[in-house]
Amino acid sequence: MSTYNELEEKEYGKLTSHIFRRVLGLLKPHWKWAVGFLLCIALVSIIDSYTTFLSKRIIDEGIIAGSREAIVRTIIIYGSLILVQAASAFGFIYLVGVLAERVRYDLRKQMFNHLQQLSLSYFSETPVGWIMSRLTSDTERLSDLLTWGILDVTWAVINIATAAIFMFIINANLALIVIIMLPILILVAFRFRTRILYYYRQSRKMNSKITGAFNETITGVRVIKALSREEDNLEEFSELTDGMYHASFKAAWLSALFLPTVQVISALGLGVVLWRGGMQVQLGGMTIGGIQAFVSYITFIMWPIQDIARVYAQMQNAVASAERIFGLIDTEPDVKNRTNTIETETIEGDIRFEDVHFYYEEDDPVIKGLSFHVKQGEMVALVGPTGGGKTTIVNLLCRFYEPTRGKIYFNDVDYQDMKLEDIQSRIGVVLQTPHLFSGSIRDNIRYGNLTSTDEDIEKAAKLAGAHDFIMQFDRGYEQDVGEGGNLLSVGQKQLISIARAILAQPELFIMDEATSSVDTLTEALIQRGMDRLMENRTSFVIAHRLSTIKRADKIIVIEDGHIQEMGTHSELIRKKGKYYNLYTQQFRHELEAQYDILNKPQPVESS
Amino acid sequence: MPVSKNKYYDLDITKTLTKNRLFGLLRLMKGYHWLYIIAIIALAVSTVSRTGISLVLQRFIDEVVIAGDYGSHLVIIILIFIGLALSQGAFAFISGWLSSKTAESSTRRLRNFLFDHLQRLPYAYHAESKTGDLIARSTSDVDAINRFFGEQAIGIGRILLIFIINFTALLQLNTRLALYSVIAIPIIIGVSIFFFSRVSKAYEEYQEQEATLSNRLQENLTGVRVVKAFARQGYESYKFDKENWQKFRLGKKLLSIHSLFWPVSDIVCGVQMLAAFFLGAIMALEGTITVGTYMAFSSLVVWIIWPMRNLGRLIVQTSTGMVSYSRVAEMLKQEREPLTDGEYHPEGSVQGEIIFDQVYFEYEKDNPVLQDINFTCKPGDIIALLGSTGSGKTTLVNLLPRFYDPTSGVITLDGVDITKYSRKYLRSQIGIVEQEPFLFSRTIRENITYGVHRKVTEDEIIQAAEFAAIHDVIEEFPRGYDTLVGERGVTLSGGQKQRVAIARALLKNPRILILDDSTSSVDTETEAQIRGALDHLMQNRTTFIIAHRIQSVMDADLILVFDHGKIVQKGTHEELMKQSGMYRDIFDIQTRIEVELEKEISSVNL
Repeated sequence: MSTYNELEEKEYGKLTSHIFRRVLGLLKPHWKWAVGFLLCIALVSIIDSYTTFLSKRIIDEGIIAGSREAIVRTIIIYGSLILVQAASAFGFIYLVGVLAERVRYDLRKQMFNHLQQLSLSYFSETPVGWIMSRLTSDTERLSDLLTWGILDVTWAVINIATAAIFMFIINANLALIVIIMLPILILVAFRFRTRILYYYRQSRKMNSKITGAFNETITGVRVIKALSREEDNLEEFSELTDGMYHASFKAAWLSALFLPTVQVISALGLGVVLWRGGMQVQLGGMTIGGIQAFVSYITFIMWPIQDIARVYAQMQNAVASAERIFGLIDTEPDVKNRTNTIETETIEGDIRFEDVHFYYEEDDPVIKGLSFHVKQGEMVALVGPTGGGKTTIVNLLCRFYEPTRGKIYFNDVDYQDMKLEDIQSRIGVVLQTPHLFSGSIRDNIRYGNLTSTDEDIEKAAKLAGAHDFIMQFDRGYEQDVGEGGNLLSVGQKQLISIARAILAQPELFIMDEATSSVDTLTEALIQRGMDRLMENRTSFVIAHRLSTIKRADKIIVIEDGHIQEMGTHSELIRKKGKYYNLYTQQFRHELEAQYDILNKPQPVESS
Repeated sequence: MPVSKNKYYDLDITKTLTKNRLFGLLRLMKGYHWLYIIAIIALAVSTVSRTGISLVLQRFIDEVVIAGDYGSHLVIIILIFIGLALSQGAFAFISGWLSSKTAESSTRRLRNFLFDHLQRLPYAYHAESKTGDLIARSTSDVDAINRFFGEQAIGIGRILLIFIINFTALLQLNTRLALYSVIAIPIIIGVSIFFFSRVSKAYEEYQEQEATLSNRLQENLTGVRVVKAFARQGYESYKFDKENWQKFRLGKKLLSIHSLFWPVSDIVCGVQMLAAFFLGAIMALEGTITVGTYMAFSSLVVWIIWPMRNLGRLIVQTSTGMVSYSRVAEMLKQEREPLTDGEYHPEGSVQGEIIFDQVYFEYEKDNPVLQDINFTCKPGDIIALLGSTGSGKTTLVNLLPRFYDPTSGVITLDGVDITKYSRKYLRSQIGIVEQEPFLFSRTIRENITYGVHRKVTEDEIIQAAEFAAIHDVIEEFPRGYDTLVGERGVTLSGGQKQRVAIARALLKNPRILILDDSTSSVDTETEAQIRGALDHLMQNRTTFIIAHRIQSVMDADLILVFDHGKIVQKGTHEELMKQSGMYRDIFDIQTRIEVELEKEISSVNL
């Protein structure tokens, strides 16, 4: 398995036979398209060379020989070949282009579906942007190599080969001169192309840094102004633009040097051909048309060569892309079903944590030996400072992670013996920062149960207390929530995510209470919605509000991965320990908020 | 106001703006015009050489091969041939070198200028603009302008030169032949312009779908916990597949247009070329032209016809360059905020005596945010601003560093109107600690020393961090002070960010301090630490506290109670407690809370 760390900076990959076969394998389901475009491009390439040969015949068999008929005949052949070529061009552009899109489609689909199977740990370790580039730029690069790259190389190789054959037919000696020239041209072209691509990518990198600098300056402009950083900033920024200037200028002038260099080399070859060929005309070894053909072949040989060089340079990057893509596809999920799973109809029942340990890295344990017992239908409030382990407990409960040591039992069955789907389809979760998907409000609520009717959705919304505000929108339930739900307020998003959870009719309800402020009315609605959800259900709440905490059947104070205190509200208050402190602090905050014209509600949260 | 030039840009681009966009684009090249002109001349020389090669070939056939004269004539012709090839290559390179130098230099200057321009635009402009839009104008629009210089302008020039020079040469060879060879060219250009404008529309659609697809993906990745919690993997795959397939379909559509254009234009160009060949061959056969002329002619014809297909693409693309130019120009039209203008330049630091005299402020006309603000404070005073959100507190402190200027009324600092100070000097005297400060994606060390315009020793940094009660937190990070803010696995909480900002303010050592006192979302212990840090910071400085809690105003020398943009009460804690009003109401609540807390706890104890 390749993690993103290893491959992050890698730009050049080595084409091993393994990768090669796997990459080609991507074409397998569409082999007919591949064969189709290869045939078309081969035809185009052969005709390209052959028409040059026809030009020679116009001169030799037509003009020199004085045969009007030969001219007409050759022109007709030439004309029909142009038609054939146009048809094949249509064929290859369509075939290779659609194939490229199809390969991209396939790759994205395969990666996306695989991502859905991966565990939460993968997503907390891997930045979103990194994954996104796998499905965008890497996919693009790999599919381009597989389609347009192969196309260009095929065209180029056949073009050079057929040109060589025609040259040999016209005059073998002169053809040899050209053949000797070829490796030099190819070598020069490869060197150039690799360098150009290097600087080009360099300039892309600088460009993204420049974008980053603009972004920071614009978002942080207040600080910049307050601290009078303008001059220093400009100096730092100019280093970026200098870097950009040097990289793109170099890429540009190398490109400007590349073609002329190839042209001059071929012109030298052409000079030799003209010299020797010109002399041979008299001896009969060469015709005037032949000279014309050689001139054309040599002049145009730089195009296939530059194509091959370009694909060669791109190939190294594309292989690196392929390695990253396959790395993603080969990643095994950490949490998956065991081989002998038990069919479970329900997860209702007591929940037991037995000496549960959890760490991401061995020397940095997050949960250290947690044991507790929750009876069916109880409500548990988890409280304590951030980073203490509350969220990890919730993640363990949902089996997003599994304990590194110890066991969790649902109704006396080790939950690792159950099927993931069986557990997760019976849990309802409301997150601290509610995540909505772009689309309508209705779609977002329906997410809880895809088969539910519109009436079910409205019923759930009413139970959650979301119905009233939804109806205030012009479009009601069809109201668009915007990207990530950003057209709604935090409180509204929360109400919708509660409705979503109600619709799912979970057996176990888990809620991470929001710390952010909502107005009093919404707050009351949220509380009522939560009550509905918790009725007769086992529930775990990462609680920030006193009303929630006080209602709990069991309060667990988690700090530093341990249970510091556990009990009911009155038990813990009497203890005058951690809970007492948390409670009194929050009490002040909340009352201040309630009475105070100045304050918004403050959660019990720590830095 | 005039824009001062500096070593990063030697041109005031705001002065080059013109209504005519093409002209405006060309004026952006100012200073490099000669390079560009030489580039075009070099291009012409290169093209002439290229055409010369074809003409030499004609001589070679007619005078050497057909005449059978293989003496010195052959050598001379071959030498001329190689000489022309060298000249073609060398001048092509020179042209490419100079034009890219022009493009890249002009773009670098434009980038630097834009960057500086943006950071010097008034705060009011930034407050109203969308970040994404500004970034797009400064990056992708600048890229489009760069392509205009580097590719499109020179590309169109190249094709036109090729046409003019080769057509002149063709005319020299044979007028009739020349005219017959270019009949189809208007058709080719017309078709390609039509096609490329169609393609760019289809391409836009395709790109939009790409964005939609990326959004889908991003939503899925950021919402991974929801997806898993509801076990909706299958549904997510279905939704993604729908957009993915749509992109495939749009790609197919785009390709269909391409796969029609290229063969069709192949046929048009091919037929034109063949017609010319045919005519030429017949004329050669009849002896109207020589065989050499026919050969030169056929190579010139090929050279003229095929590049024309690209002319349409370049012409269509220049329109993007023009649109981008207008978008950038719009931004450049905004007036910069003068930083150094000001007639009063005191030696050293200010004392910190501040007077607000009948200050009014409104963002939009007839919608006053601050009304009739009057108060005086002595150097070192603590002024607490109390009031609900939107009551004008933040606006008031925004006037001090002149992020905004009052609509009417005067603010004086040490007896001098603050508009007489330069903004730069004024801001150097003011430190701001915001509730959730913006940190830059640099190391923590750099964030602490950010904006401190002097050499700072390591000891000073650590001392400041210690006073700000953030040193221990930083030391816990694996890379300590070298930790990059926003680095994976290291996230600073709001309270920690605030303390980094406090350390920064300590190093800056300003005479006036603006403090957004929000010790929200921190636990008691941290709250005490921050309070200590703030007390330390406030010593001997005139401090404005935007207060959220009554505790932080009690020690203030002057408390200003705000309501709807007006000061409704002012005085010290003792004074205000004697009056009935908002302040005492707030204070009473605090006491009541403690009573209720007592009650609450004792009820549990029963």
